[in-house]
Amino acid sequence: MDFKRILVPAGGGGADEGAMELACRLAKKDKGQIWAVYVITVKRALPIDAEIEPEIATAEKILDHIEEIAENQDCEIETDVLQAREAGPAIIDEAVEKQADVIIMGVSQKKRFGQFSIGNIVPYILKSAPCPVILLQQ
Amino acid sequence: MYIIVVGGGRLGYYLTKGLLAEGHEVLLLEKESEVCETITEELGSVCFRGDGCETTTLNEVGTSRADMFIAVTGDDEDNMVSCQVAKHKFNVPTTIARLRNPDNEDLFKKLGINITISATNLILEAIEREVTTHPLTHILTMQDKGWEMVDIRILPESTSAGKLVRELALPAESKLTLVIPRENKPYVPTANSVLKEGDRVIALTTPQTEEALRAALSGA
Amino acid sequence: MNILIMGCGRVGAQLASLLDADGHKITVLDNDSYSFRRLPSDFGGTALLGNGLQQDVLQKAGIESAEMFVATTQGDNRNIMACQVAKHIFNVPRVLCRIYDPLRQELFEGLGIEAISPTKIFAQLLRDKIIA
Repeated sequence: MDFKRILVPAGGGGADEGAMELACRLAKKDKGQIWAVYVITVKRALPIDAEIEPEIATAEKILDHIEEIAENQDCEIETDVLQAREAGPAIIDEAVEKQADVIIMGVSQKKRFGQFSIGNIVPYILKSAPCPVILLQQ
Repeated sequence: MYIIVVGGGRLGYYLTKGLLAEGHEVLLLEKESEVCETITEELGSVCFRGDGCETTTLNEVGTSRADMFIAVTGDDEDNMVSCQVAKHKFNVPTTIARLRNPDNEDLFKKLGINITISATNLILEAIEREVTTHPLTHILTMQDKGWEMVDIRILPESTSAGKLVRELALPAESKLTLVIPRENKPYVPTANSVLKEGDRVIALTTPQTEEALRAALSGA
Repeated sequence: MNILIMGCGRVGAQLASLLDADGHKITVLDNDSYSFRRLPSDFGGTALLGNGLQQDVLQKAGIESAEMFVATTQGDNRNIMACQVAKHIFNVPRVLCRIYDPLRQELFEGLGIEAISPTKIFAQLLRDKIIA
């Protein structure tokens, strides 16, 4: 299986690093391309194209960090900030648009109401992805 | 426009679909999570799970920036309450409610809900238009002005047939705007126009004087 | 006083029997005849089967001569709508509405409907008990 077009959705957590390192290793092997995206979820109280300064700053910081990791691996990547109502569908739309061969995502263990929870973004992506999905939990 | 639709039944679903196709930003509020999921799958991220009567939910979906609020659940009371919350708490300029029971129309109007849609009334109006023996048909209602436009037929037995307009006992609040004879060209009636059997009179009137106008024109 | 109560649940039935014992003329309306079992056997008022959101049913229940209308069904929105019908269509001098949701209660108080939120009152009552 060739992974030439790799999409890495960043969540801003520690799990991003492992996912990015893995993406770089695969990209180098197959001479592939990597896109890292961060989705700003815009609350309904604001129009979808609202410029939310603190959120944009956070997004840029996260993507800068991701770029650094890639540089350490001698990899060049493209980054993008997306704005959407929900992260899941936005990531899927991006995967379709970029014709991704694989989505690589880091997941961190979370607890919600005292129970193990993976959130609702990961299940949505697994359910709707047009390509293979690799989840990395550290 | 930003439009909020409450109720993800068939009406809410197709309404949302239509409004999206026209390029509006639409949010559909639906209580049932399963219905919400199906709609999200089909229409994208346009559905929010929540109660359209709850202030907290309406706050979350940005009701204060909505241009229009349309409540189309199956229950009149839910539609009425959510429209009032939207109007009075979030100052939405236009609120529209679906009605099941036509009796509630007066109440909804009094409470400031801008437009009410009742399938019962729509069907009754369609029947009125289709069944041509009925001498009076409603063409248009200008709710905000209190006027309505009606189409009245002059029947063979009508006492107005052959009379001058000025001889008729027309209510003061009504205006005859156009006469469409069976064969000749339509004309704007004056005090000296003569009405004939088979004429259709297009008139402006109020709901209160509608019956008096009908009696004056097509009464036997 | 001539009082019309919509909803013969525990609260509605209790209220009806209290006011009846005080000598008021009571009519209780419910859309389930089984609810009327909650009324005491010596209840002197009228129990009527029907949907209180229908204007003809309210007329049959004598809303035009009622001095007071109380809505105590389980549905907040049903209560609100019935009270607004009583107030704006039938001009009942005083209407009283049960609204569980405290936010809705505040809003409709502001719109001229006298409303009580059992949720708010009971939570306050519990807190007072706890800190006393």
